[in-house]
Amino acid sequence: MSVDGVSDIFRRVLENDDIDAESDFFAFGGDSLLATRVLSAIARTYGVELTFDDFLLAPTPGTLAEKVLR
Amino acid sequence: MGALRSHGLFGSFLEVAGEQPSRPAIVDNGTTVTYAELERLASEVARSAGPGVVGVPATHSAGTVAALLGVWAAGGTYCPVDPAFPETRRRAMLDAAGCRFLLGSGPLQGREVPAGLAYVLFTSGSTGAPKPVMTSHRAIEATIRSLRELFAMETGDRVLQFASLNWDTCFEEILPTLTGGACLVFHDDAHSGSFPRFLRMVERERITVLNLPTAFWHELVTYLADEKSGLPECVRLVVIGGEAANPARLTDWHALDTGRVRLLNTYGCTETTLITHAADLHGPYEKVPIGRRLPHVAERIGEDGELLIGGQAIADGYLGLPEATAARFVTIEGERYFRTGDRVGRTPGGMLVHRGRIDDELKVRGIRVDPAEVEAHIAAHPEVGAVAVTGLKMADHTVLAAYVVPRTSAGLGVDLRDYLRDRVPAHLIPSRIAIVPDLVYTASGKVDRRRTKEIPHER
Repeated sequence: MSVDGVSDIFRRVLENDDIDAESDFFAFGGDSLLATRVLSAIARTYGVELTFDDFLLAPTPGTLAEKVLR
Repeated sequence: MGALRSHGLFGSFLEVAGEQPSRPAIVDNGTTVTYAELERLASEVARSAGPGVVGVPATHSAGTVAALLGVWAAGGTYCPVDPAFPETRRRAMLDAAGCRFLLGSGPLQGREVPAGLAYVLFTSGSTGAPKPVMTSHRAIEATIRSLRELFAMETGDRVLQFASLNWDTCFEEILPTLTGGACLVFHDDAHSGSFPRFLRMVERERITVLNLPTAFWHELVTYLADEKSGLPECVRLVVIGGEAANPARLTDWHALDTGRVRLLNTYGCTETTLITHAADLHGPYEKVPIGRRLPHVAERIGEDGELLIGGQAIADGYLGLPEATAARFVTIEGERYFRTGDRVGRTPGGMLVHRGRIDDELKVRGIRVDPAEVEAHIAAHPEVGAVAVTGLKMADHTVLAAYVVPRTSAGLGVDLRDYLRDRVPAHLIPSRIAIVPDLVYTASGKVDRRRTKEIPHER
């Protein structure tokens, strides 16, 4: 399921195990540079190319996973 | 309004525009602006702006480049004011810089400033207010002459405009390009956050020169190494700067199929006008060197290892701040020098290597941050008793962390990040805010920022 997969990516990039499906990337210390790592990991894992604008509109694993599935 | 000023860098631009009026000066998301068109756009701005310091709401566009040239054409001083900054901050900037006019808006009260200034830009200031740095036409001209040579600019070059037009790094891209007859390329895909999109754009736009913040380059190299790919063939030069390059990423870079691409590490401060030191990187290095001084630069190394920079390109000082100016701009044996606050050493080969700061100043995504400035803003909140701000290494790069002692045992009833968003630019908002019972103090009673970050806290 991609929500779990995206949550895993968030945890790895932010080096924080407290992250769940509702965690806001930016509230957990993420910034635009770390966002590029999430986007690269998503592209590699799911073959979906998202941008920083997508991320700003969907900054949690739950919402971002919806964009991956779409 | 009088005739256009044809001296200095604007004069060099006019000369190039006269020689090659129909060549592209700027391509902005597919729309070409020729040298002749850019000259015409600049003279329109010159007619409306007039002399004095002109505030420019700088967006990532050809129009803002025309505004920069137009301000100079009218004999004025460029002062970018980021439209994304909170209004209180923008007003403080316009005021501190003594702006007489805000482009697109109208006249302001303004103040008299020293003659000959090309631009006023801000660096982080410990009082909570940003410090306006005064850079003269003489300084920027000397630097750009060195940079055209360093980058080996040719008329066929196509330079990606990566830096925001609100920071001085943008002049490293704009000015050698437009005084060298080359082409400046703006494209939204430069900042999309997607590396595949970035690389396709570089190839499609036939970019030859990339000037990237070192933190971004680190991410790019990681991506290319993971994908086992390289940069598009058209790229001949990559310039990096803003913070220390990671030797491990440099090793990754050299393992990529990018051997033909020249990689240039650069060093400089706003007060010394863009780049003062540069090194072609080969490696491997234990610490990546910042290189040798450029021809227009004079240097001294102080007793404590602090790098002092002199020569034609040092700034005139901080506008309206004589004490801050006297503290950092010093005269030694009749020559003016800027105390960088950076500690350096020299390799056997004669290159300088950065060895940290003599103070607590930080680099966050390549931007200088004085932790005292962020502390001043947080301490102004009525529920905050004490605060220390420092840098935290997170996933290989530096982020800001604030350690806050609430005024009462009830804790904090607000989100400090929301509070800061209305007052300071995004780069001054800590990524992490931790509530702590107390800060750690030195024997002399000053906050020990480094030891404070080791105390246990709740997130």
